[in-house]
Amino acid sequence: MLLQLNHIYKWVKQGGKRVFLLNDISLDVKEGEFISIMGPSGSGKSTLLNVIGMLDEFQEGEYIFNEEPVHSLKEKQRAKLYKEYIGFVFQAYHLIDELTVYENIETPLLYKNSKSSERKALVADMLDRFNIVGKKDLFPAQLSGGQQQLVGIARALIAKPKLLLADEPTGNLNSKQGEEIMELFRELNQEGVTIIQATHSESNAAYGNRIIHLLDGSKQHQTSN
Amino acid sequence: MLRNYIKIAWRNLLKNKAFTIINLSGLTIGMTAVLLIAAWVQYQMGFERFHTHEDSLFKVYNRSTGPGEIYTWDVTSGPLGAALEKDFPEVAQSSRIYWSKDRLFSTGNTHIKAKGNDVDNAFLSMFSFPLLQGDSAHALDAVNTVVITEELAIKLFGTADVINKMVKIDNEDTYQITGVLENLPANTDFDFDYLVSLKANENLYSNNNSWSTNTFYTYVQLKPNTAVDEFNHKIKEEIKKYNAESETEIFLHPIKKWHLYSRFENGKVAGGRIETVRLVGLIGILILVIACINFMNLSTAQSRKRAGEVGVRKVIGAGRSSLMLQFIAESVLLASIAGVLAVLITIVVLPAFNQLIGSSVFINWLSPWLWLGLGVFILITGLLAGSYPAFLLSGFSPIKAFKGNFKKRGCVFNSRKVLVVTQFSVGIVLTISTVVIYNQINFVQNRDTGYDINHLIEIPLEGDIDKNFELIKNELLKNGAIEAMSKTAFGVTSEASTGSGFSWNGKSEEDEDLSFSLYRTSGDFVQTMGLNLIAGRDINLAQFPRDSTSILINEQALKKTGITDPIGKTIKRKDLTLTIAGVFEDFIIGSPYEEVKPMIVMGYKNYNYNTLLRLNPNNTTQKNLGLIEQVFKKYNPAYPFVYEFVDKSYAKKFADEKQMASLSFLFAGLAIFISCLGLFGLAANMAENRAKEMGVRKVLGASAQHVARLLASDLLKLVVISLLIASPMAYYIMQDWLQDYTYRVAIEWWIFIGTAAVLLIITMLTVSFQAIKAAWVNPVKSLRTE
Ligand SMILES: Nc1ncnc2c1ncn2[C@@H]1O[C@H](COP(=O)(O)OP(=O)(O)OP(=O)(O)O)[C@@H](O)[C@H]1O
Ligand SMILES: [Mg+2]
Repeated sequence: MLLQLNHIYKWVKQGGKRVFLLNDISLDVKEGEFISIMGPSGSGKSTLLNVIGMLDEFQEGEYIFNEEPVHSLKEKQRAKLYKEYIGFVFQAYHLIDELTVYENIETPLLYKNSKSSERKALVADMLDRFNIVGKKDLFPAQLSGGQQQLVGIARALIAKPKLLLADEPTGNLNSKQGEEIMELFRELNQEGVTIIQATHSESNAAYGNRIIHLLDGSKQHQTSN
Repeated sequence: MLRNYIKIAWRNLLKNKAFTIINLSGLTIGMTAVLLIAAWVQYQMGFERFHTHEDSLFKVYNRSTGPGEIYTWDVTSGPLGAALEKDFPEVAQSSRIYWSKDRLFSTGNTHIKAKGNDVDNAFLSMFSFPLLQGDSAHALDAVNTVVITEELAIKLFGTADVINKMVKIDNEDTYQITGVLENLPANTDFDFDYLVSLKANENLYSNNNSWSTNTFYTYVQLKPNTAVDEFNHKIKEEIKKYNAESETEIFLHPIKKWHLYSRFENGKVAGGRIETVRLVGLIGILILVIACINFMNLSTAQSRKRAGEVGVRKVIGAGRSSLMLQFIAESVLLASIAGVLAVLITIVVLPAFNQLIGSSVFINWLSPWLWLGLGVFILITGLLAGSYPAFLLSGFSPIKAFKGNFKKRGCVFNSRKVLVVTQFSVGIVLTISTVVIYNQINFVQNRDTGYDINHLIEIPLEGDIDKNFELIKNELLKNGAIEAMSKTAFGVTSEASTGSGFSWNGKSEEDEDLSFSLYRTSGDFVQTMGLNLIAGRDINLAQFPRDSTSILINEQALKKTGITDPIGKTIKRKDLTLTIAGVFEDFIIGSPYEEVKPMIVMGYKNYNYNTLLRLNPNNTTQKNLGLIEQVFKKYNPAYPFVYEFVDKSYAKKFADEKQMASLSFLFAGLAIFISCLGLFGLAANMAENRAKEMGVRKVLGASAQHVARLLASDLLKLVVISLLIASPMAYYIMQDWLQDYTYRVAIEWWIFIGTAAVLLIITMLTVSFQAIKAAWVNPVKSLRTE
C-alpha cells in the first residue's frame, strides 16, 4: 500500500457554519496504480490532490503514506517525506520564469543537495527523454504550452518520485498535445510510477485504471477500467 | 546552490530595472551618508590621539566658586606649572603656552605674518609634533630661538632646509631657527606656524610671576601609571599654598578629552563637541535605518510578483530556510553593489562635504580595518534589509500563492505602512530640526549687538602704530577716511577676559565674587564703537591724562552693582581706585548666545593690541581702505597692511552652529529624498497591483482624475500620519537642544505648518506621477495582462 486516506474531513468556516470541502473521503492507493479523479468544477478535486500532496491541511481523519502517519507528523518530517516521494504537475505549469529550462528541471535536485555531476547526468537524461535538449537554454516564456508542460513533468520526475500528482495537466493544452502527455503518463505508469490525476476529460480519465468521482467533496462512486 | 541564488537574484534585478534602480539608489545614498558620517565621527574622535604620550598629557584647569555657580576656566597663572613640577614627583614635565599671537617674520625682502605660540622648552618633548630638522629636546632651550613649520619655512625661504638660519621677528629681534616642524595634522586643536621660546618674551608679560593673574595655559605630563583622580585630589589646593587669598582650585583635564569635552558646568565636565558627534552619529544610524526600511518596503512590495516563485519552489522541495537564504542572498548582493557605489561616491564627494561643513575629514583607504568594517557593514545592511522580506516571502503557502489569494496581504500591507510612516517620521524630525537650528542662528545673528557693527574695521596694533597713533589718527580724520579711531585691549568680537575682586560703596554679600568682563581703551571707545552713552562721557587719555584711572561701565554693571547716580562714583580693586566716567548701553562681547555680563572698560595707555577704526560711511569702502593703507604704510612701513571687518569676525562666531545646520540640512534632505524614492516605488507598485481594479473602474465609467485621486490619497494619508507623529517629537528634541543657549529663539508653529505643506507637495508630486500614469492607461490593456 502506497497511501491510505481514512475518513478525511476538510472544512472552512463561513459565517459561523462549516462548509465542507472534503467530506468523509477514504481511499487506498497501491503502488503502480494510475488513478483519475473526476467531478464538476468546485467538487474538490484540487483540494483532494493538495491534501494527498501534503500541501494542504485537513481537520479530521487519518492519512498514512508509505506507512508513515502524515496527520501526526511535524512540518519538517512531512516536508522530507514529500521531497522524497512526491512530484507535482499543474495545469498552469508553474515554471520559474527567471530560470531556463535546464535550471528549472535541475532545481529540485539542488534542494535535495545532489552532487553536481549527478545533477548533470540526471538532467541530461531527462532532456533527452522528453526531446527538449534543443530548448534547454530557453526561458519558459519562449516555449509553447505543451512544451512548458513537458518541462513541468520533467521537473516533477527528476527526483524520481514514487507518486506523481497531476492537477488537470492538459487543461491548458489542445487535444493533440493533451494526448501526448497522457501517453507519456501511461509510459511512466508502466515503468512503475504511481499517478493520480484530476481531470475534466472522459478520454483522459480513461487512461487511468481506476476513476474516482467526486461531488461536493464527497466520493460518489468509483469505476475500474 | 548559492550560485543559483545569485543567478536568480541577478536576473530578477535586471528584469525589474525600475525597482532595482530605485532600491539601489536609496541604499547607495544611505550608505554614502553613513560612510561620510562615520568618517566625520572618526575624525572628531581622533583629535590629539596621535601624541605618543596621549595617556599622560593634561591641561590644567581652574575651578572657583562664584555667586550661585562654579566657574571653570583654563587660563592659569604663570608660576603654576613650575610649582607643580617642583612639588609633586608625579609630574614629569610641564609647559606654559601663551595665547596665539600673530607675528611678522622677515627675511630679506620677504615679510610674512604667521600665527604661533610662546612655549616652554618642554613642549616639544611632551607633545608629538615631530621635527624634520633639529632636536626636539633642546630646540627651544635658548632665548631667541624659534621652530617653524615646513610650510612657513617654504614660504619664507623657498626651502624647508632652514636649520640655523636667522629670521627677524616683529621687525625687532633676530631669532635663530632651531627646528623645522612637520606640518600639523588635521586632527589637532593646536594651531601654530611657529613656536618661540617663552623665555625670550618673559619680560614682556608683566604678570609672569604673579599667582593672582591668569595669563598662560599650563600643560603637564604625568609619569606613567599615575592615578589621575587621586592626583587631582592632591593638587586641588596648590594655588592656595602660594597665594593664601585665593579660593581657586585646580584640576587636570586629559588631552584625549580636550576636543570632545570642553564645556564645564559647576566645575565638572558637562560635554562639548561630543554632543554634536553623538547627535550626528545618531542621524547616521537613522539614515541607515531609513535606507533599510526603503529596501524592505520595496522588496515586500514585490512580494506579489515573487509569491508564485515561492510557491513553485516549495512544491518542488524548497524548505523555508533555503528560501530565506535565497532572499537574503539577494539583498546582500544588492547591498554589495550599493556598497561599492557608495565608496566610489564618497571618494568623489568628500572634498565637497568638507567644504560644506568646514572640516578636513580624511579617510585612510589603505587601512584593512576600513575594508573589514565596510564588509561587515554591507553584510549587516543586507541582512537587516533582507530579513523582513525573506521572512515574509518564505512564509507563503504554495496553494495560496498560486491562487494569488493572500490571506496575509492585509497584514503585509499594514506593516509596509508602518515602515513608510517610520521612514517619513525620521525625515520630518530632521527637517524640522534643521529649520529650528537655522532659525536659532538667524535669531542670534540678528540680535542687536549694541554697537554699529558696519563700517568698523580692526588693525592689529603692532610695530610703530602705537608710537605714531595720534599722527595716524589726525591724518585719517583729515583725509576723511574715518570718523573715529580707538586703541583697545583686543578685538571687540573676541572673548573678553574676566576679573573679580572689585568693591564699591553698598556692595552686598552676594556680590562678593561678582565677575566683570574687562576691557581697555586709550580713548574714543564709545564714539568709535557707536555705543549709546546713557550717562557721562567717553574716556580720552589724550585729552584728559587723569583718565588713566577712569572707567566706563555697561548697563548690566550698573544694575548688578546697584550703584545709583554713577558718574564720579568709584570702584576699587586692591589699591586701585577707579572713577566712573560714563555708562553705556550693553553690547555683545564674546558669545552672542549668552547674556551680556557686567563690563568695565578701563582707560589704559599700554597693553593695547588692537586698533579700532570707524570708516567714513559717505565714502566707498574701497576708497577708505586705500587711504588708510597709505597712512599705515607711511607710519608703520615694516608691517604688511592687514585689517579685518568686525562684522565678518562676528559672523565667525556662528561657525559651529552653521556646521551643525549644514550637517542636519544635508542629512534631512537625504532622508526625505530616500523616503520619497521609497514612496515613488511604493506608488508604482500599488498602481501596478491595482491595475486591474483601475481598469475595471474605468470600464465602469470612473474618470481618470477619480482613479488618480484614489491612488494618491492612500499614500498621502501615510505622510499625514507621519507628520502627526514626528512634529511633537521634533518639538521636544529641539526644545532640549535650545536649552544650551541663554539667548534663544522660540519654536514657532509656522515651522510645522511650513514643513507639512512642503512635504505634502513633494509627496503629491512623487505619487501623482504614478497615479496619473495608472489612471491614463488603457483599461483593455491592463485587463488583458492580468
Ligand atoms: N481556502 C478556501 N476557502 C473557502 N473555500 C475554498 C477554499 N479553497 C477551496 N474552496 C472551495 O472548495 C471547493 C473545491 O475547490 P477545488 O479547487 O478543490 O475544486 P475543483 O474540483 O478543483 O474545481 P475545478 O475543476 O474548477 O478546478 C470550491 O467550492 C471552492 O470554492
Ligand atoms: Mg481544480
